Amino acid sequence: MSNNLDDQLRGALRSVDPDDGFSERVTSRIARHSRRSQWSAPSGFRWLSAAVVAAVVLGVLMAHDWQLRREQQGLDARKQLIEALRVTGEKLDLAYRVVNDDAHSAASENSGA
Amino acid sequence: MRLSARRLTLALILLARMFAMAAAAVPDAQLKMPNFDSLAAKASNSVSITLDSALLGIAAGFLDSSKPEDAAAKELISGLKGVYVRSFSFDKDFVYPSTEVDMIRKQLTAPAWQRLVGVRSHKEQANVDIYMSIDQGNANGLVIIASEPHEFTIVNIVGSIDLQKLHRLEGKFGIPKLHLEEK
Repeated sequence: MSNNLDDQLRGALRSVDPDDGFSERVTSRIARHSRRSQWSAPSGFRWLSAAVVAAVVLGVLMAHDWQLRREQQGLDARKQLIEALRVTGEKLDLAYRVVNDDAHSAASENSGA
Repeated sequence: MRLSARRLTLALILLARMFAMAAAAVPDAQLKMPNFDSLAAKASNSVSITLDSALLGIAAGFLDSSKPEDAAAKELISGLKGVYVRSFSFDKDFVYPSTEVDMIRKQLTAPAWQRLVGVRSHKEQANVDIYMSIDQGNANGLVIIASEPHEFTIVNIVGSIDLQKLHRLEGKFGIPKLHLEEK
């Protein structure tokens, strides 16, 4: 009876070679597990990364917009400056013409008299 | 703690007074421009230019020094602190309201301002007055008031303006030939 039990136990606990494909299955399970653990990184870190990327994109867009507005402001200021110089030149020229006309008319009056 | 807060307040008041005194000590060549709403309403064309020192700096940045006319304009504005122009054109003869012009003229008093030119032409029906602000022997402001039958213009340039430099810009940017004598 006891011999029979011993034989049964020996038979049950005998070393058995793994079947074909065992090592592949284990390797693929390990790989799957490591991928899953990679994706399940702390959610705070993921949010932080997303926030940094969003901030950088927003910063670039704002810098671009600021640059565009500054360029437009500069072109407008240049246009206004040129217009101001034109008006100033025009009025100085008018003053010169008026002074000159007066001088001419005074001279002709004197020569006539 | 309370004592230091009082000291800080006193220091701030003193500092504010010092700034106010410094500002009052420097004669300002910038005119207080009336709003000219009544003229603008009747004008067929209005020009209102306000360029303070910051905007002049920005404009200078957009002038290309490699181009002769831009370089000349850049040199001209290098000593300026502000350029203010109000110009109104009319389709028909217009009698300008004197209130606004008087408000301008009241600011142009001696000794800070001196009238360089005051001409009245019957032929061109034009009145032109040119004033210059002089501080310690240096010109630091220019005002031109020009009224013609169809046009009224006020130019106020703050800072040291060299008319000879403006002369170098004649024929460029639409600036007419100026008949100023070369030194």
